[in-house]
Amino acid sequence: MRQLTEEESKSVFSKLAVYCGRSLNNLVTASDGEGEQYVFRLHGSRVYYLRLSIANWATSVPRANLLSLGVCIGKLTKTGKFRVHITALDVIAPHARYKVWIKENGLLPFLYGGNVVKAHVGRWSEDIPEHSGVVVFDSSDTPVGFGVVAKSTTELRRVEPTAIAVFRQADTGEFLREEDSLFTT
Amino acid sequence: MAPKPSAKGKPSSGGDSKKSGKPLSSSSKVNKKNVKRPPPKEVKAKARTEPSQLKKTKKREYTEAELGIPELNAITPVGVVKPKGKKKGKTFVDDRDGVATIIAMVNAEKEGQIESKMMKARQLEELRELRKKETEARQAEKKKKLDATKDSIRNKKKPGSENTARSGGSDSKSKGDSKSKGKRKSVSFA
Repeated sequence: MRQLTEEESKSVFSKLAVYCGRSLNNLVTASDGEGEQYVFRLHGSRVYYLRLSIANWATSVPRANLLSLGVCIGKLTKTGKFRVHITALDVIAPHARYKVWIKENGLLPFLYGGNVVKAHVGRWSEDIPEHSGVVVFDSSDTPVGFGVVAKSTTELRRVEPTAIAVFRQADTGEFLREEDSLFTT
Repeated sequence: MAPKPSAKGKPSSGGDSKKSGKPLSSSSKVNKKNVKRPPPKEVKAKARTEPSQLKKTKKREYTEAELGIPELNAITPVGVVKPKGKKKGKTFVDDRDGVATIIAMVNAEKEGQIESKMMKARQLEELRELRKKETEARQAEKKKKLDATKDSIRNKKKPGSENTARSGGSDSKSKGDSKSKGKRKSVSFA
């Protein structure tokens, strides 16, 4: 387990900034009631988001014995790019820049790994430019995944109801579908 | 006068005299000199095999840049050469300020991208609006033209019908029309 280098943290934050707005800064400056700082740590190829005190405690565990710590937000590929996992949803969702709410009838297709079609969209944030990251919420305002919009909001108004509105990147159904590989290192 | 035994007894002097073939007087002089000065001995302050002597003096090494040699196709690619004198290893960013600056940088970049995307979208929208307006205007013009031609045809017809020449024809036509209307078959189902 170690801290991120400058390049690593740049690639991590630039990926997180796809979904999060200006409040991304709150991730680092955020502190709970005890004034505890939150940090990012790299273990293996995975990046974890956790409290500083936990990170300090984790130093007492041998590297080989340490399986996981804090919340895994994704992994760094060998080429240095960052892949966000579904486990990062709880970190991303409160700071989402653009949001899409899907209707009840569109929830299951989405959770089974399908893209969101226009007919299933309940409402969306205003002025979303095309190919920007969005967090997908269900009708009861619970985050269920994230993805990338296929078209800008103005263009989406014109297309037919069966057209794809959001390309899925991760959904909470992955917790079951990818159960075997999600937490393996 | 007998010669001095000391001078005579020296074999070296005699040998010298014989070899050189110089008169005795001169040889005695040489002998005197020899006696006075001991043969020169090589004095070595340090042995050749001493480590300090064995150590080679460091020659100045010239870098490639100093020599000014024209560049050749190097074996190592440019990207691989690591800067000398730089510390090995990773530099971690862990302090809040460092992370905050990186986040600010990333945010600014992202916002710039979004802004440009929005601008582009707006421009495209404007273009689309303009095109729509243009097509509408063209269609309106077309319609106007069509109406105008229709009107002109109607106007042409009206004076023709009032006049003599075409009046008969038109009348007959109208009559025919009325006839045809009168003759129209009607089908009734019982």
